[in-house]
Amino acid sequence: MFGRNRPQPRVVPVNGSYALKLDGRERDLMRQILGDMRALLMLEPGDLRVRRLYPSAYADDAEKEDEYRMLTHEELRSSRLANVDAVEASIDAKVLNEEQLTAWMQAINSLRLVLGTLLDISDDDQELAFDPDDPEARTQALYGYLGGLLDEIVDAQLEAL
Amino acid sequence: MSAAPAEVKLPESDEDQAADRPWIVIVWNDPINLMSYVVLVFQKLFGYNRAKATELMLDVHHKGRAVVSSGTREKAELDVFRLHEHGLWATMRQD
Repeated sequence: MFGRNRPQPRVVPVNGSYALKLDGRERDLMRQILGDMRALLMLEPGDLRVRRLYPSAYADDAEKEDEYRMLTHEELRSSRLANVDAVEASIDAKVLNEEQLTAWMQAINSLRLVLGTLLDISDDDQELAFDPDDPEARTQALYGYLGGLLDEIVDAQLEAL
Repeated sequence: MSAAPAEVKLPESDEDQAADRPWIVIVWNDPINLMSYVVLVFQKLFGYNRAKATELMLDVHHKGRAVVSSGTREKAELDVFRLHEHGLWATMRQD
């Protein structure tokens, strides 16, 4: 399960803001996946790859559910795109304010939800067996990386609450 | 001439009674969201303290779901929307 903190966390609360200690390769990786996120957000909400980003509100009322979807889909999409923009704007920042860190958290979580769905993650505490020859190895590695970073972002925010 | 009929109190229709019942917001367990993330979202969205948010998260994790808020349909729908924005699996229904 995720939750293994590194000896030195990459996100540290400092005077109401957060120090973001990512090295150049990590920032390059984040820069790359911004494009992936935008592409995913352009897909129709019904597309299986992004279905997880647009859950149902009314499980047993098709009429109300249709209404909810009509009202919220565009807003869910645009708020996620705004998060991606905010990450891009602060991709080289050494310090993030609360709002920026929240955008990073939301963007990373959204992508993680999509990757987890693609990988068919089904058990809370499963350790992914990593096989570099597996065609899904890159997705698995990215899923694991994002989980670790997200965990540190969340811990920093919980510490600061 | 017959006496004026006594005022008859009509039973409330099912619909009226239904309109009075509060809506509840349910968060369902999912295998992807981090437990710590769910606690943070509950604290931020609903203003719960750490203990309450953790208790709700553990209910979701172990029992498969938890009721996290309730109120009018409008309030419940906004709560569900904000939970969806945060990537949580939330639905609503009338209690």
